Amino acid sequence: MKEVPVKIQHNNNWIVVKMGIGDDRIILPDPFNKEIPFRTVDDIAEKKNVLIITVKTDTETVYKILSVEKVLQVLKKLILGSCNAYRLMAYFMSPAIRGGVMIKDAQWDKGSVVVVRTGIWFISATKQVCVPVNDVAAIEIIKRDVQGKSTDVIKIDHLDSGEVSSSLVLCPLSTLQVLYNYLKETTKSMDMKGTELDSIEQQVAMLVYSGMDSHAIENMLNIPHKQLDGIYDKILNLGLGEVVTIRREIQLTTKGVRYISDATKSQTN
Amino acid sequence: MGKILIVDDTLFMRTLLKNILFSGGHTIAGEAGDGDDGVAKYKELKPDLVTMDIVMPKLNGIEALKAIKEFDPAAKIVMCTAVGQEQMVKLAIKSGAKGYIIKPFQAPKVLEEVKNVLAS
Repeated sequence: MKEVPVKIQHNNNWIVVKMGIGDDRIILPDPFNKEIPFRTVDDIAEKKNVLIITVKTDTETVYKILSVEKVLQVLKKLILGSCNAYRLMAYFMSPAIRGGVMIKDAQWDKGSVVVVRTGIWFISATKQVCVPVNDVAAIEIIKRDVQGKSTDVIKIDHLDSGEVSSSLVLCPLSTLQVLYNYLKETTKSMDMKGTELDSIEQQVAMLVYSGMDSHAIENMLNIPHKQLDGIYDKILNLGLGEVVTIRREIQLTTKGVRYISDATKSQTN
Repeated sequence: MGKILIVDDTLFMRTLLKNILFSGGHTIAGEAGDGDDGVAKYKELKPDLVTMDIVMPKLNGIEALKAIKEFDPAAKIVMCTAVGQEQMVKLAIKSGAKGYIIKPFQAPKVLEEVKNVLAS
């Protein structure tokens, strides 16, 4: 058992503790006094240098662990190897395509694919890549040239820093379909019927993606503000967007008109 | 800032690109709705840069790119492509395209690519 200093969130504060790391569990000292077998870990996610692990026994407890990259790498490797997840040995390329173009020098890594509640992890001796389920845009089985042979692989399109990237998974054909079905099921909450937005609503969504504000969209599509507002409501209700700014239109009161009139007079006199 | 020719078969995409390019201070030399018209407009307008859609009627983007490059080897052409068309992008770059932008467009990325290609 090795001991490493880490920060763990406790009652909204970060406290420094010496965490014990064993082959099949971690031990959190006072004030936690907890032994966490890796097999009880139900989910694992990472945000910057914070590892978020969800432990499920009779109750569900979330631990946020902050540490240096080296320690987190060891922890991730151990937890992902034994936690409650769907995992299989596979070759993967992540990311393989960014912005529609194959990444130069992208290579197949031999390792495993671990699917937990909130993410799809690609693990090899040198790589630990997580694709959050919420960032998955599409999953499909495609034909790919692998060592000169047309081979079935799973392509996972996901958002990476606002850009669509694709990762590829290669495994025996018998398990490929099982993995595909599992991934589809895991990311089902992100699925949408193509018919949920009509043509004009799709155009609005695309313009929002392109960075246009409401004023520009109204002008481009030649639609009144009220119609755009209704489309925004639909996009918001479908969970496709979120409000970032509420713009207001005002008219002047009598006091305001008087102020402007006076100001104009003093400028022209 | 440059004088740009937009070649795309959908009015919506042309309008969107026009708005993005205007917001970056560029001027629009002209628009074309297919590859044939794109090549003709290039010869007529001599723009600083062309944004060229790939999938278009009559002459597709790759063929139009080749025709423009034959007329003017120094032409600066940026291909517009959808996600999943990586083979097309490879072919376009091989055929002389200077860059590419991905649909759906994101204004900052479009402007950055246009700026880089204009400066090249």
